[in-house]
Amino acid sequence: MALAAITVVLVPLFVLARTVWVEGGADLVEILTSAGLVTAVRNTFVLAVAVTVLAVPLGTLIALALRRPDLPGRSFWRVAVLLPVLVPDFVLGYSWLRAYGRAGFTDDVFGLHWLGVQGALGVTVVVTVNAVPLVYLITAVGLAARAEPAMERAARVSGAGVLTVLRTITLPLIRPATATAAVLVFVLTLGTFAIPQVMGSPAGFTTISTRIYSNLARSSDPLAFVEAVTLALLLVVIAVIVVAPADALLGPRLRVRRVASTDPSSASGGRTASRWTVLAGIAGYCLLAVGLPLLALLATAVTKAVGLPPTPPNWTLDNFTLIITSRSAEALTRSLGLAACAASILVLLGGLVAALERRRSGRSVATLVTLTLVLPGSTLALGMIIAYGRWIGGTLTIILLAYIAKLWAVAHRPISGALDRLPPDELHASRISGAGPLTTIRTVVLRPLAPALLAAWLVCFLTALHEVTMSSLLYGPGSETLAVVVLNSAELGQVGATSALSVVITLVLLVPALAFWFVIRRLNRAPNHGTAVTSTDRAPELAHAG
Amino acid sequence: MPADPLEIRGLTVAYGEVTALADVDLNVAPGEVLALLGPSGSGKSTLLHTVAGFHPPRTGEVWLNGRCVSCATSSVPPERRELAMVFQNYALWPHLTALDTVSYPARRRGEKRAHARAQAQRILERLNIGHLAERHPAELSGGEQQRVGLARALAREASLYLFDEPTAHLDTHVRGVFLEELVTRQRDTGAAAVYAAHDAEESLGLADRVALLAAGRVIQVGTPQQVYDEPVSQLAAQLTGPSSVLTTTDGGELLVRPEWARLGGDRSARIGDVFFRGPHSDYLLDTTQGRVLLREPGPPRQRRGDEVTWSLRHSWPLRVRPGSGSDAEQRCRTGVKVPVVDDPHVPHGVGT
Repeated sequence: MALAAITVVLVPLFVLARTVWVEGGADLVEILTSAGLVTAVRNTFVLAVAVTVLAVPLGTLIALALRRPDLPGRSFWRVAVLLPVLVPDFVLGYSWLRAYGRAGFTDDVFGLHWLGVQGALGVTVVVTVNAVPLVYLITAVGLAARAEPAMERAARVSGAGVLTVLRTITLPLIRPATATAAVLVFVLTLGTFAIPQVMGSPAGFTTISTRIYSNLARSSDPLAFVEAVTLALLLVVIAVIVVAPADALLGPRLRVRRVASTDPSSASGGRTASRWTVLAGIAGYCLLAVGLPLLALLATAVTKAVGLPPTPPNWTLDNFTLIITSRSAEALTRSLGLAACAASILVLLGGLVAALERRRSGRSVATLVTLTLVLPGSTLALGMIIAYGRWIGGTLTIILLAYIAKLWAVAHRPISGALDRLPPDELHASRISGAGPLTTIRTVVLRPLAPALLAAWLVCFLTALHEVTMSSLLYGPGSETLAVVVLNSAELGQVGATSALSVVITLVLLVPALAFWFVIRRLNRAPNHGTAVTSTDRAPELAHAG
Repeated sequence: MPADPLEIRGLTVAYGEVTALADVDLNVAPGEVLALLGPSGSGKSTLLHTVAGFHPPRTGEVWLNGRCVSCATSSVPPERRELAMVFQNYALWPHLTALDTVSYPARRRGEKRAHARAQAQRILERLNIGHLAERHPAELSGGEQQRVGLARALAREASLYLFDEPTAHLDTHVRGVFLEELVTRQRDTGAAAVYAAHDAEESLGLADRVALLAAGRVIQVGTPQQVYDEPVSQLAAQLTGPSSVLTTTDGGELLVRPEWARLGGDRSARIGDVFFRGPHSDYLLDTTQGRVLLREPGPPRQRRGDEVTWSLRHSWPLRVRPGSGSDAEQRCRTGVKVPVVDDPHVPHGVGT
């Protein structure tokens, strides 16, 4: 276990540092002060700060709004706001260009387009849209776990109005969750690649990740390579500088607490007049941020040529027949196989680390695994190339290795959380009833863990399927994934083909996601996790009555 | 005459399709303690939460001190109903210390921080937990947490207190002490209170009046003695304490409380079981009319299987409506010979 962690995480990092040290040498100062690098670093930092500042309040607001039990169609909106998670980030970025950019949907129909969409502003907004579901998920869990309805009711009955309760009780209660979300959003934005690449690069907006990508494309220039490696290390350094104090500050408060209730319901209905305002806000956000862009993407995919209005006379399936080539079909098969493979290995590894974590010896591995969460994909990929590129460069194996390193923590977290929620007495009861350790796992651990294991598998599978940051650096002839094909097509400016490909990859993601989602929900609803009968059920001593 | 602190008229509350409360009428007089007694799921919490304004009722009205806070057209939000509430699971805020928690209501009234804290400290002292002022809930025991919960309610200075099973999660030995504290403080304030509980002893002991709740309906309201001695149904009898039911020869039913029967007398039975309960012992008698639970002070004097004699000092007819004739007539009609009892019943309630 420790060996696996070292192979996929520590070795790549180590070789990166060594490369900078050995090959950078005297040029290091020159590299570090070059205008291009400074701009990229500054852009990345400003982008991360801006996205955090925008996404955290927005996601928290949505979590609070979706808690209202009287919100019409609440379960639908709960899924709808998660949609950007399922849509690959490069598809989201591209669809925004199709919707709001020049020659996009609003330009064709209303003659409106926003110049800023292609460039820093557009990148900031779309990365924010992409990050909001994450914030929503974390704060919703925090709300369910810590802000029990009784907490807010106690405040209301003490004389606090709705806004005062929010300020003095609810927000302080979920502060650990909000802080976690902020740190995660910041770190993930540092390493984000696809959206800046699709929306920013054409306008000359560079970030660290996109610069690494373009530097590697100029592989003949040794200085460019060293600069890429330096940038990759800088990413880690910035991430660690931000995360380390945050973790030290928040760490003790973020330790696991048992979830008190799984239904994050609001304490009190509030005024009925305002729920339509809330509904309008959420619906409007979903429509503008995700709905319209995806529709615009679909419209482009079925329209004959750019610039024609997306009306039935101009409809065609040519774009789809165009992309049905053996190359893209192979890429699709490859992507699916790779993602399934990675997800299966990851669930196994995640489960093992989660189990080991309970013992003292396994804890350092678990810490290491958690650290990979802040490791940007570009950094990992570069490390992989230098460490193992000689033997397996450009093959599917190196991509698989990179996926495992990147997603290990993603698989580990839900499994570990589910294990934490498993009352130890349930295991003790099994052992005392005569079951061995393995039988105990099979009979009483696996079933309550099943939703978490499935969820971990699904998240890994979907993330691997639309991963493009590492794949675009690591792929070689014959190992392109579908996501890489889409990205390359976008860079070549094939609008119709890219839109069609984007539609295809989104469908490929949505179908299994929705299917699994229903399975997981059904598993969670199964009676074995029904509410335990509490002591309040103690009947008066009436058993003696005739 | 001043208006009642609480008056509920025709209250019906539903969660979706499920009716939690059906057509409830209740009132609480100034200074009175009304106990809501019922099994879990009977609607006790729903009733309190509706009075507090957390659930909108489907129909019906809630009046507080002569003010309609929940009527067809208008609903006063919880923070302006001026109620105090103690919650079943304490509902203490994990991020606030005991002192900050207790000063919270005063702060919301707009009092200065220092003043609110001084006031809170005094309340904590009165509840003998002044030394815990700087602790967070996680650092307090269950009994201490609930004292902080009570202190927060006292700080609200309300004219009506709502207690939502405040002792449900407390250990037995803490429960008694806390209950005593609660009753004393509530009496000090002179405020009225509604106390929800599923424990018969607890509610009969502290209430001026008891409302029996089952499946969302009020099945009986009366003084503790009334609901104990004269329950309207077998269900009401079971809610208010241990009891047995004897079947008479003509199919009627007689309620017998354990202390209404005595060992020795003109009836014969076999001891089905014996339970030592500390201050007294319970005997389960197998008689020709059914099983009877009988209570005698002291340790067990008989063993299982012994043939014994016993007598009935008092009983209550369940099948015949009270008020349709004299008690003696009713008893004659049931066909069971019962000695007429005029002496007061054996005291009951807390501590028996």
